[in-house]
Formats: sequence, structure tokens, C-alpha cells
Amino acid sequence: MKKLEFIYEDGAHKWAVVARDPEKPNHLIDTNEYLVLNGSEALLADPGGMEIFSAVFSAISAEIDPYTIRHLFASHQDPDVISSLALWLDFNPELKCHLSWLWGSFIPHFGGTADTFVAIPDEGATLSLGGLALDAIPAHYLHSSGNFNLYDRKARILFSGDVGAALLPPEESSLYVENFDRHIRHSRDFHRRWMGSNKAKLSWCERVSRLDIDMLCPQHGAIYRGEDVKRFINWFADLDVGSGIRD
Amino acid sequence: MNIVNDTISSLHRVVKANEDIKKVIRISSGVNLVALNAMLIAKRSGERSRGFAVVSSELRLFSRNLDAAMNGLGELIFSLVRDAAAMQRQRQQHSHFMTVMKANKSVRKWAEPTLARVEARMGVVEEEISQDWHRLRLQLNRVLQLCESGRSLSRSAKIEAVYGGDMSTTLKQVASQIEGTVDEIFSTLKLLRMQLAD
Ligand SMILES: [Fe+2]
Ligand SMILES: [Fe+2]
Repeated sequence: MKKLEFIYEDGAHKWAVVARDPEKPNHLIDTNEYLVLNGSEALLADPGGMEIFSAVFSAISAEIDPYTIRHLFASHQDPDVISSLALWLDFNPELKCHLSWLWGSFIPHFGGTADTFVAIPDEGATLSLGGLALDAIPAHYLHSSGNFNLYDRKARILFSGDVGAALLPPEESSLYVENFDRHIRHSRDFHRRWMGSNKAKLSWCERVSRLDIDMLCPQHGAIYRGEDVKRFINWFADLDVGSGIRD
Repeated sequence: MNIVNDTISSLHRVVKANEDIKKVIRISSGVNLVALNAMLIAKRSGERSRGFAVVSSELRLFSRNLDAAMNGLGELIFSLVRDAAAMQRQRQQHSHFMTVMKANKSVRKWAEPTLARVEARMGVVEEEISQDWHRLRLQLNRVLQLCESGRSLSRSAKIEAVYGGDMSTTLKQVASQIEGTVDEIFSTLKLLRMQLAD
């Protein structure tokens, strides 16, 4: 069963994650869904695929009133990110979905009406969650050509989407990265293959290294904390991406 | 409301019906050629087959009506495909919320209203689909009636062919061509109507 775990709490301002699911069938990539709460409003970052909707919905509803979720944030257009959209809208047709303008006419194939979507311009935007500022940070071409991270200055948390992802073996089920060197072996192939542009990667590393980040939260795999955040950015800056095709 | 009424709303059934209708459309497009051919021959045989000329121009009219009726069938099939696909999607969404309903009570209460909404929507789509089938059956009856008139045309053609003098053999051939095509449409449609009855 997927479970909601709180990773940050400061009064009514919280971050929670519905982390990897040991019971999920093997043919689906495992994902983390992040919930940002501020008072009576919540945002769900990368709500996940249609097939895991019931697990995510149940995990969230077991802890909080799911009607507090007013916003969905889709880092990019992938099915593991947002194919559950129609089901979320069944539950609450008023939900707003924030996403890159680039996918504005693609993601509606998963559901929604013209009123559902809020387009984020290439340079990024600041969303307000009950007064809390959340910055959509451009991460284009990492891997999607219209791609955003979500940064919470106050909580010092960066939701990084597919950046920082690791495809972990089942025995490594810890929520956080415990041993960077061991962990990163499960990240290398993913980043070399899915990330397409060294130029985009360096631009991201340069911009993100200037942010205060306590936790870097990817959509797949474990969360980087403290020094491991810097370690990851440096490792990524040095990695040759767009080169992962096996021959 | 029976939300798992597969027989009425399945895409499968629509596809099967559509295959038969496509077959009928294919055959009926042949009627047009037969009618044209009949007109040309009637023209060539001139005064000797005035009666046949009348029949063949009526046949042209029949072919045009048949065309329009076939378009009507095509449109109905289109609505059925659209509605059956919508039903399939609703059913899928329904099953995801049913999975949520397996969780404990505190979770279930959040999913209940959504489930009720999805079920209500399924009811509407189901009603839509049963109307689609009803309209399709009506249209099939209309086409069958049309085919009856096509049959009597082919009988008249046969009779007129007898008075065709030296063109008689050719005219007889055309008349039996007409008969064959109309019969083929007729039997395919009858079979389809039988399948749709249950
Ligand atoms: Fe992706
Ligand atoms: Fe992903």
C-alpha cells in the first residue's frame, strides 16, 4: 500500500510524499507524488499515472481531506506524470492543472477542459498556494522539452521531476538517499539516456546551485538531503548526458 | 441501473454490426453501376424497350435512395462508436474508483460522491446507447422496405426484358443482375436485423 509521509512541517505549511510502492506491478515505473499543503489549500506535484490513481488517492485521503487539493502541477507531459488527470477531475472538476505552455494542447488528451489548464511560460512563473510562493523553475530538455521543477523558498525544497531520478532495486526502499555513492549508480544510466542536452543540464546546475535547498525531491527514487543535494548537482554537471544508447 | 450491461454498450458489438453494414454499403454501391448499365442498354435498344428504360430510370432513383439510406446507417454507427467508447472510458474510471472503495471507511467517504457521479454518467450514456441501437433498428427497417421496392423493380425489369426483341437476352442479364444485388443486400440486412433483435 502506498502511504503518505510528511517530510516537512512548519505549522500549516507542510510537504508530504506518497512514496514508492512495493506492491506496484513491475511493468509500471515507480513514482513519488508530492503534496504541498498550506492551510486549507494543497497542490499535488506530478499526480502520477492512471493505473496508480486509486493507490495515490487512498493514501492521501487516509490523511487529509482530498478536497483541499486545488492545484495539480505537471512537471511535463509523460503518462507516469499526469495520465491520472481525468480521474482527479472526476473527483473534483474545479481542479487547476499547471503545466508548460508547450504541452497545453497535448495533455488535454488525458482529460480536462479549457478551464482546467494554467500555462507556465518558458521563463517560469510563481504560483500562489494560499499566499505561499512556489516557483516553477525552468528545466527544459531535462528530459522533456517543456519541463519545470517546483521550488518552495520557505521550505527550501526543490521538486525536481525526472532530474535526480533513480531506478532503485526493490531492496533499496529508503525514502532518503543514505549512501550517495551507492545510490548514484542507479541514477547514471537514467540520466545519460533520458536527459538530452548537456547545455540545458549545465544551465540547470548553474541556476539550481544558487538556490537554498535542503531537500531535492525527484519523481522516481529517493530524496537527496543536505550535502547530498550539492553532491548530486556536481555529479550531474560532470555527467555526459544524451549518450545513453546501448549498442 | 445495470452498470455492467456489456451486451448493449460494448464496442465489440458495434464493430460487428458495422462489418455487416460495410458489406451492405459495398454491395449497394454496385446497384448504381447496374442501374447505369441498364440505362445505357435501354438507350441503345431504343423504341424496342421503352418499358425497360422506365424501369432503369426508376432503378437509378432507387440507387440514389439506397445511397442516402446507407449514409444514414453510417452516421448511426458513428454515434454508436462514439457512445460505446465513452461508456468504455466511464467504465474504466468507475473501476478505478471501485478500487478506492476497497480502502477503509475514512477513505471511502471521499470517493463515494464521485462514484455516484460516474455511475449517473454511465446511466446517461447507457440510455444514449440504447437509443442509438433503437434508431439503428428503425433505419434498418427503412432500408429493408426500400429493398422490397428494389425487388419489385427487378421483377418489372425481367418482364420488360421479354419485350426487348433482339435485345432481350442482354436485358434479361441486366435484370437478373439487379435481382442478384438487391437480394444480397436483403439477406445481409435481414441477418443483421436478427442479430440486433437479441
Ligand atoms: Fe518523464
Ligand atoms: Fe518520470
